[in-house]
Amino acid sequence: MKTFDLRVKQLLDGDLSLADLPPELRAEGEEALRLLAAVDRTAVTLSPALDTRVMAVVRRHAKSPVGRAWRWLNTPRDVELRLRVRPWAVWAGALAAAAALALLLGRAVPAPVPGVQARGGTRDSVFVRFVLYAPGARRVAVAGTFNQWDRGAALLAPAGTSGVWTTTLALPVGQHQYAFVVDGARWVVDPSAPAVDDGFGRRNSVVAVTAEGAHL
Amino acid sequence: MRTIGLVLTLLLGSTLTGALDAQDVRPRLDRRVSPEVQRAVQRIAADAAVQGLPIDPLVQKAIEGAAKGVPADRVIAAVRALAGRLGQSMAAVREGGVSTPGGDVVEGGADALNAGLTGREVSDLVRVSRPPQDPTLTLRVAATLAALGVPAKQVLTLLQGLISDGRSQSDLLGLPGQVQTGVAQGATPAQAAAGLARAAGGLPPGRNPDWVPPGQRKPKHKP
Amino acid sequence: MGVLLGLEGEATDAEVVRAVLAGDVERYAVLVRRYRDRFARYAARMLGSRDVAEDAVQDALVRAFDRLADCREPDKFGGWLFLILRNRCFAERRRNRREGRLPEDAAEALASPERSDGAMERREQARELELALGQLTPEQREAFVLKHVAGMPYEEIAQRTGATVASLKMRMHRAYDRLRELMKEYR
Repeated sequence: MKTFDLRVKQLLDGDLSLADLPPELRAEGEEALRLLAAVDRTAVTLSPALDTRVMAVVRRHAKSPVGRAWRWLNTPRDVELRLRVRPWAVWAGALAAAAALALLLGRAVPAPVPGVQARGGTRDSVFVRFVLYAPGARRVAVAGTFNQWDRGAALLAPAGTSGVWTTTLALPVGQHQYAFVVDGARWVVDPSAPAVDDGFGRRNSVVAVTAEGAHL
Repeated sequence: MRTIGLVLTLLLGSTLTGALDAQDVRPRLDRRVSPEVQRAVQRIAADAAVQGLPIDPLVQKAIEGAAKGVPADRVIAAVRALAGRLGQSMAAVREGGVSTPGGDVVEGGADALNAGLTGREVSDLVRVSRPPQDPTLTLRVAATLAALGVPAKQVLTLLQGLISDGRSQSDLLGLPGQVQTGVAQGATPAQAAAGLARAAGGLPPGRNPDWVPPGQRKPKHKP
Repeated sequence: MGVLLGLEGEATDAEVVRAVLAGDVERYAVLVRRYRDRFARYAARMLGSRDVAEDAVQDALVRAFDRLADCREPDKFGGWLFLILRNRCFAERRRNRREGRLPEDAAEALASPERSDGAMERREQARELELALGQLTPEQREAFVLKHVAGMPYEEIAQRTGATVASLKMRMHRAYDRLRELMKEYR
């Protein structure tokens, strides 16, 4: 296959003009430009009914309970912890990293900075928000490697009547497995997290917590 | 500085959670699991300790089984299987060039094995994760990608490509989220991962997915 | 719907996105109107058919609504929507390839209507090029469409697609050679 000379390609890219090409490449350059000239640049207009169709579907999605709950979760809120969509993505700042550095250097651990702490939070933990949509549930908890799989240790609170349950926990840096427990007996994975085999025929959800935040 | 902080916090994680002695097993299991499970796990943990394997994951697995109401024999089987994976991981990590692996990287390897990667693939990932890359992080991301449904061979290609491109640890950590975004927009996990590899420039268009950047070993096919 | 077109025309994308997220779902129609045709040409050239392109654009607009809170920079809604559409186009192309859809059908579907001034030769060449474009890899085709149909500079394509300028040029240069080869075959 005979390929275009590099300078002819640069001509097509718009980096060179025909006049910049040496005489022996002019013919090839013109052939290349003719190829480009064949491009159909006419605009494409879609049917006017598109708007109506899109808005009809959008209104349906907006009305559904799942849609409402999903958007409630997604709305950015002015909360100190900057909670977002998934049950993670909360930032602990450089404090954890600084503490880690101090510990490894063998110095005394610096005193906690007031205002950054909350329920059980320490220097090297990150606040992570857990969310589950479970309408009809009477009780929802989250259990995992961070709380010895204790079904009663971390209860979620319902958010009004939306069917959405949430809680925020301070998790130590590292990798954690967890699952939700609905009504004390039903183990449910987090639908928005990766799931791994738990070795018992079920699955656990996974979250990785670092000083920069929480990741899938 | 952030990268160092990240690596240090991962190391710190291992210092805090990994260094459990076999003797520490009993108080943790007391009143959480049945006596039968407790005895079995103590034996398994003692064997694991002799091999230099991390004990904490074994204890966690036993407690988890009990919390989930799983029958004793299944809990014991699961703990034993996990111990086996940890041992396999230890060998694979050593094969990858880390002569005295810490608890975290062995656990990471066991996670990767559990998610479907082979020992050889674990070794390959450890091998490419020379400083400033952290093999524990690479293995964890690999395990998560595999758990999301990305085929093992593609996980390797994607990670090897990004590491050889000099990508940061944050970039690697962001991969599972990006795959999930791709899946949410209609791609399969494999397609989403392939899209990431292309977008990163790590996989030139039209290339065979088996292509490995120059200077690296070709990934072995699964037997 | 009772929309005041005059006022709507002045609202920025970011303002509309925030309004929709706050609950005013009907305002989303502003974004639909604004963007429905902007990427139509891209979708049509990627997928080879106006009808299929219309489905893709519709799907992308609905998906963008569902994930609206994921749009981290609401004033760059257009770029974000483009990515959603792009993914959708790539997925569709893979599906087409699996189902063995021929590029010839595509070129026919996109053929401009017969021109009374007799520009037959131009139309024929455009059809040949369309056929040839269908033979490129999706990435090559996309690079070509964005640069030579939509007229985007490499930097903007790089920004929109996440590829580097260097890899885009490499892709494009391969595309040029491939097109040259294919167009020769059609003669």
